[in-house]
Amino acid sequence: MNSPKRSDEPIWWALFSAGGVCFAVFLPGLILILGFLWPLGLLDASLLQYAQLLTLLQNGYGLTGLAFTCAVICLPLFHAAHRIHHGLHDLKCSYSGVAKLLCYGTAAALSMLALYLTFLLRLAG
Amino acid sequence: MNTPASARKPYQPELSRSWWLKHHYYRLYMLREATVLPLLFFLGCLLYGLYCLAQGAAHWQSFQLFMQQGWVIALNLLAFAASLFHAKTFFALFPRVMPLAPARLMIGGQWLATLLVAAGLLVLLGGWL
Repeated sequence: MNSPKRSDEPIWWALFSAGGVCFAVFLPGLILILGFLWPLGLLDASLLQYAQLLTLLQNGYGLTGLAFTCAVICLPLFHAAHRIHHGLHDLKCSYSGVAKLLCYGTAAALSMLALYLTFLLRLAG
Repeated sequence: MNTPASARKPYQPELSRSWWLKHHYYRLYMLREATVLPLLFFLGCLLYGLYCLAQGAAHWQSFQLFMQQGWVIALNLLAFAASLFHAKTFFALFPRVMPLAPARLMIGGQWLATLLVAAGLLVLLGGWL
């Protein structure tokens, strides 16, 4: 007996909404600090100096580091991939699965890179 | 040739690529979809920062210099505005999908979460204790 072919869409929609929550809740504060206040020198950024930051990341960071990377990089990446995939369809630039593969594939590859770099940081210093 | 099947003339509306320019509501929709473009730029900055951090102190210094460039700050400000616009549209969805409490309460609660995260990061990273 053939089992029905299951759609993979629930996976992408779940990642999309999880990423949407992260984009809305975590990213505004992080962009404000790293993208604006820190570069303009409006913070007492002693924690953002190399040695202090590395210590922060290495001491008692562990799984929190991977969770942080997932929340501020990986999930937002899949959120963006989903919107671009559907946006390409809206602009009539979607070609039978190629755009989907490219969008989610890039998000997956960059996520792996981010997690790998986070893992490397625990060994660095 | 004149069978019912061939005589059928289905109406196939032609949609142009610029369909979304024709109505205020569609333009707002496209603007919301486009919030991920500046987001992608910021995520690229984060990835570059992680890479520099893993490379050592000198690279971290060059990351800071990169982030201090005018065009980078301008794009990140755009990303900040985009994140707030995205939050506004996204928070409005929650009470519609899962009406657990009055909509205004749920939307306000989500904005409070965003505010608390920003305040927490400022205290943690900014030394604004």
